[in-house]
Amino acid sequence: MLRWLPEDVSTYGHEIDSLFYLIYYITAATFILVTVLMVVFLVMYRERPGRRAIYSHGNTTLEIIWTIIPAAILIVLSFMSVNTWAKLKSEVPPSDFAIQVTAKQFNWDVFYPGPDGKLGTQDDIRFDNDVHVPVNKVVHIHLTASDVIHSFFIPNLRFKQDAVPGRTVTGWFEATKPGRYELPCAELCGFGHSGMKGWLHVHNAEDYAKWAAENLASKQQ
Amino acid sequence: MSQTVAAGATHAVHGHHEELGFWRTYIFSMDHKMIGRQFLFLGLFMLIIGGLLAMMVRWQLAWPETPVPGLSAIPEPYMYEGIIPPQTYNALFTMHATIMIFFVVMPIMVGCYGNFLIPLMIGTRDMAFPLLNMLSFWVGAVAGVIMLSSFFVVGGPAAAGWTGYATLSAKAAYTGVGMGQNLWIISLLVLGISSLMGSINYITTIVNMRAPGMTYFRMPLTVWSLFVTAILLLLALPVLTAALAMLLFDRTLGTSFFLPEGGGQPLLWQHMFWFFGHPEVYILVLPAMGVTSDLLSTFSRKPIFGYHAMAFSMIAIAFLSWIVWGHHMFISGMNPLLGTAFMMTTMVIAVPSAIKVFNWLGTLWGGNIRLTSPMLFALGFVSNFLIGGLSGIFMASTPVDIFIHDTYYIVAHFHYVVAGIIFALFAAVYYWFPKMFGRMMSEPLGKIHFALTYLFFNLTFFPMHFLGVGGHMRRIYNPTQYEFLQPLQDWNVFITISALLLGLSQVPFLINFIWSLFGGKKAERNPWQANTLEWSAPTPPPHGNFEVQPTVYRGPYEYSSPEVKEDWLPQDKPLAKGAAVRGH
Amino acid sequence: MARNSTARRLDETAPAAPGKRLEFGGGEPPAPPVRPNRPIGSNAWLATLMFLGAEAMFFAGLIGAFIVFRVGSAIWPPPFQPRLPVGITGVNTVILVFSAVTMHAALRSVRAGATARVSRMLAVTAVLGGVFLLIQGYEWAQLIHFGLTVSSSVYGGLFYTLIGFHALHVAGALIWLALVFIQAKSGRFSKQQHTGLRICVMYWTFVVALWPILYGLVYLY
Ligand code: HEA
Ligand code: HEA
Ligand code: CUA
Ligand SMILES: [Cu+2]
Repeated sequence: MLRWLPEDVSTYGHEIDSLFYLIYYITAATFILVTVLMVVFLVMYRERPGRRAIYSHGNTTLEIIWTIIPAAILIVLSFMSVNTWAKLKSEVPPSDFAIQVTAKQFNWDVFYPGPDGKLGTQDDIRFDNDVHVPVNKVVHIHLTASDVIHSFFIPNLRFKQDAVPGRTVTGWFEATKPGRYELPCAELCGFGHSGMKGWLHVHNAEDYAKWAAENLASKQQ
Repeated sequence: MSQTVAAGATHAVHGHHEELGFWRTYIFSMDHKMIGRQFLFLGLFMLIIGGLLAMMVRWQLAWPETPVPGLSAIPEPYMYEGIIPPQTYNALFTMHATIMIFFVVMPIMVGCYGNFLIPLMIGTRDMAFPLLNMLSFWVGAVAGVIMLSSFFVVGGPAAAGWTGYATLSAKAAYTGVGMGQNLWIISLLVLGISSLMGSINYITTIVNMRAPGMTYFRMPLTVWSLFVTAILLLLALPVLTAALAMLLFDRTLGTSFFLPEGGGQPLLWQHMFWFFGHPEVYILVLPAMGVTSDLLSTFSRKPIFGYHAMAFSMIAIAFLSWIVWGHHMFISGMNPLLGTAFMMTTMVIAVPSAIKVFNWLGTLWGGNIRLTSPMLFALGFVSNFLIGGLSGIFMASTPVDIFIHDTYYIVAHFHYVVAGIIFALFAAVYYWFPKMFGRMMSEPLGKIHFALTYLFFNLTFFPMHFLGVGGHMRRIYNPTQYEFLQPLQDWNVFITISALLLGLSQVPFLINFIWSLFGGKKAERNPWQANTLEWSAPTPPPHGNFEVQPTVYRGPYEYSSPEVKEDWLPQDKPLAKGAAVRGH
Repeated sequence: MARNSTARRLDETAPAAPGKRLEFGGGEPPAPPVRPNRPIGSNAWLATLMFLGAEAMFFAGLIGAFIVFRVGSAIWPPPFQPRLPVGITGVNTVILVFSAVTMHAALRSVRAGATARVSRMLAVTAVLGGVFLLIQGYEWAQLIHFGLTVSSSVYGGLFYTLIGFHALHVAGALIWLALVFIQAKSGRFSKQQHTGLRICVMYWTFVVALWPILYGLVYLY
């Protein structure tokens, strides 16, 4: 089933994917166990004339066992998830590369710092729906929205973050492979929700420098 | 009146109360059984509407922007010669979900079966407050009419998703829907009143009016589940009411609770909605679990495995359901530490569910299983709940949810649990139809219905996992607009064809239901040889239910008890003194 | 109505359960005694209790929202908004709390069989409740005059929503009280039979008890 996962091009994507795989194996095993037992019971104990069902109200030992085992599995899963979650959300690596994305019906406004080198000032340089970043650099994205909630989703990076009007949330990623990746909006935002999409362009160092020279530097004068 | 009944002449039932006219028997009835039937018809009618809306959603997803057959008469701007525009698409799934949750599953599982079964199963004559009960149905029906009327107002019905996230829902300009969204809010406010009346009635009846000998731990699990559900409803819906009132004020009075430009907080809506919303999903599933427990035991001819654990796990689920709401908001920009806390509680809530699944298996073990159509549907529910529950574990893990949030993985998850409830719903219809209407439904047709529904249900919803893994967003109008989704489009077509067949698979049910109402085989009093009290009442039960006030001597699941030679032992059947002690 | 509880009808007494013990999976305890289930209180009383539970959750929702805004704001109340009349509302609080005292006096009177006093006490309660509403109404008129409206700020919206829903409840309770008053006048309540009065007292107590919480939160906090 998991072969449908989009190609992973981020530094942390494999951590998400491996949790995904782990849960997949656990749940698949549980599913098979329960389903096989169910089918076996249905066949073995199908109605036969003259047979009487076993008169039993339960078995405390068994019940304790099948309470504790899933509980233990789930607790372990929680702790594994907490580690990854903290890495993604709390231990944000520092970065000298930040952009601002403001979502609006139905576009992504992408801002790069202007000549003053700071975001959130008058001279920021704006692009429509196109995000350009260098490869192997930690990118910080300051996300907000100006009307309704949108969600900035890059499947290949395993990155998703809602853009909420009235507040700014910072997310980060580090792309590991140059290329052009789709950037859909994942939160219902009105009739144009479907089709609200942009592109993430991941460049290698030279290409990025070239792009910046053409598009940022020229405007910075 | 009670004296006459206790006096015990079977005759009394006919003689001692005046005949009510047509209106008071069928329309403004205060008899819990008639109100139950009314809720059933309301729910089944809405199921057809909600299902047809889903069919339109599916059509658009498989063959985007092609005319839907047969719908060319719908005027612009709602449809363009049968082609669904994006705005209408949003309205379709919003109304699909709202109708299915609030006007199909709740009216049938809680409204119909709560009403019909609680007094019968605990051995009493009616609900504590029959008038309130009647009002609860009619207020609910008005809510339904308001909801449906929103299809006919300018701007169309609500289109902000069933979750109605602010700010999208808080300002008409954002969706272009004015009156429709207001009617959506008003309808749910009115429905809140209906279910408030219902739940007060259920709780009072269960606490105060159980038959002699019917202790709490002799109540059938169906009654337990409805009891717990009623408590959840009582306490959860008012929070939604508060949120809806604030949303309505934002839309009509100019407040700005959820609009940041006036100092409001969009995330507050999500917190309030899900504080209600998560208990709500258990409100939907608990009665299904209760019914399933009863049916598995009855048709395995075996006591339920771990009765107390079953009752306590429902209570545990109810408690935990108050503290997991944040798992819908992992990606919303909420504090990540809160995310961690909500992940923990969400994982914990899977444990009582695990207990239920394993105890169901334990019930089957060693049984003498009769695969009747109600039993098949109950097993279908278990199988679907298993899949839906297990897929819940993926999204409970916060890092994994980053990727699958708002994709079809979620859609797959909740259809397996929520639409899986439809299996328990059908099981209940097949099982209690004889008691409700005095006739049997056709078994062969029931089995055909089950086989087709089970097959196409899985073919429809299982592949949605694949879409979700591929990153396919939910609530999108046209998946072919995305390059990365193009390889998955074949799955969309496959799902739609399965969904249409799933819809058609309901035709045998409709035929069976309507035909059996009038021409089914006359049902005897206890056609399934079941233990619970409703089966010792006449079929269909008269006004006042029992000829003689039943006395309860034992739990509801004494199947294959060594004390008697039949393999069932009704709760109200006295045994010779001393024999009542169970050898064990 | 099937009000007289079923439980009291058929009565087959049996010896008390010998050592009841709760077993997981152990089915039911041995030697089932057939005891009638005594209702834990009258249906009307229980139902009112449930209803108040639901009401409490409704206000808990609104209060939760209030606290979210209160905690999230550095300056509260927001600048350029009229101040709330803390003093006069304090007096009003005393009036309302006193109405609970007279209401309970009515309940005590009926229990003591002093029926004449009951309607007197109900009348006093109603007057106190009415005065409370009038002072509230006057306050609102003043505040609107000074520019505090539902749309002037979230502060205003919260004020009118919370206080308004409470006022609506007081008004509802007044109407109920009027009906109970008429019943009391026509001699419907006796020492033994006064459920109608009792549940009205419960509701009134709830509405009154809610007020100091709202006063503390909205006016003082
Ligand atoms: C009846 C309805 C129902 C039920 C019962 C559940 C049950 C569960 N749900 Fe689901 N859920 C919904 C209805 C329901 N849900 C709906 C409607 C939505 C979407 C709303 C929307 O956005 O529109 C949703 C969304 C949803 C989300 C948000 C996803 C997102 O938007 O990103 C999450 C996240 O944690 C979640 C988790 C769970 C979990 C952990 C359970 C658990 O309770 C499941 C527990 C059961 C089992 C696990 C199976 C049995 C157990 C065993 C056999 C034991 C062994 C198992 C292990 C060791 C793993 N659900
Ligand atoms: C109880 C709840 C419930 C039920 C039963 C269903 C049942 C179905 N749902 Fe539903 N669905 C939801 C709750 C439910 N759903 C929710 C909460 C959402 C989220 C909405 C949101 O995002 O806001 C959703 C969203 C949703 C989507 C996602 C839309 C999107 O995100 O863009 C899809 C897409 O396939 C879908 C499909 C279906 C299908 C095919 C069925 C089928 O099972 C229906 C089958 C039934 C019938 C078809 C009716 C009876 C049959 C007849 C009367 C015979 C005649 C039929 C024909 C001629 C075809 N649903
Ligand atoms: Cu923007 Cu969806
Ligand atoms: Cu949930």
